Amino acid sequence: MKRIILGVLAFFWAVPAVARPVSYPGGWTLMASKHGEKSSVHYHYSPTFKDSIGYKGIYDEGADIKGHAFQYNRLVKRWNNPMSQANFYIKSGAGMADKEGALSGLFFTGLALDWEDRRYFTSYENKLTSYGRFGQEYEQSARVGIAPYVAEYGALHTWFMLEVKNDPKADEPVHITPLVRLFKGVHLLEVGHSFQGDVTLNYIYRF
Amino acid sequence: MKKILTLVVLSFTLTMNAFAAQKLDVEVNGLVCDFCAQALEKVFGKKESVKEIDVNLTERYVRITLNEGKEIADEEVKKLIIDAGYDVVKINRVEE
Repeated sequence: MKRIILGVLAFFWAVPAVARPVSYPGGWTLMASKHGEKSSVHYHYSPTFKDSIGYKGIYDEGADIKGHAFQYNRLVKRWNNPMSQANFYIKSGAGMADKEGALSGLFFTGLALDWEDRRYFTSYENKLTSYGRFGQEYEQSARVGIAPYVAEYGALHTWFMLEVKNDPKADEPVHITPLVRLFKGVHLLEVGHSFQGDVTLNYIYRF
Repeated sequence: MKKILTLVVLSFTLTMNAFAAQKLDVEVNGLVCDFCAQALEKVFGKKESVKEIDVNLTERYVRITLNEGKEIADEEVKKLIIDAGYDVVKINRVEE
């Protein structure tokens, strides 16, 4: 039971690496994700289509580190094409980390690139996180995706994706995760299971 | 009598035009997913002059239906779409 409660808490503590970190002007977004022992939540507001500001909570169950941060995301460049769109973002945050009751500064920054049309998707992102005296970590990930059918606006969109994640300091530095993305209306859900045995859950709610 | 008839027909025609539903078909670049469509719906939904907005991802256009007697300038349409993060290719006005 304790594991289930921790799992649910971890999911809603989750950190997203899933979709556009900036919304439309005046839009709010809740992003939650979990991969293995790491999870996070990011709740942000976009004053313009190029910026979003918000709260980020992280929880690393393995290292027993929790963090709370203010996060700023910037859309550096968007390429709008007739049939596709590409984006380049920088995401940074600062706050406090808590490890077994001890506190330290928390800082993270990274870049994200994506390209998609209505059938194919590809992305790359990296992130350097410093937990101050608790250490630091670097991770990067890349994705490819394909939609088996092109759904109309408002219908259920389905994507099959493959994510490769690299965490050089981890016991298993490379994780390969097949994912299913289901996207309908304002809800986007991703479920995956890596070949290394970790479950991935991502959820986005935009309003 | 002829003058009166002409005036009646003219005023009727002008009245009908004033209440005709005006529609704009806007060709937009960068529309690839439902989040894009929702963004444009939210942005135009706040405008008093806009009655309805229909985003067609397949044909890459946005159809904006105006409320009776209301107007919106092409420049404003263009600015709203660009400020939402997309590019305008062409605006066509359709009278119905």
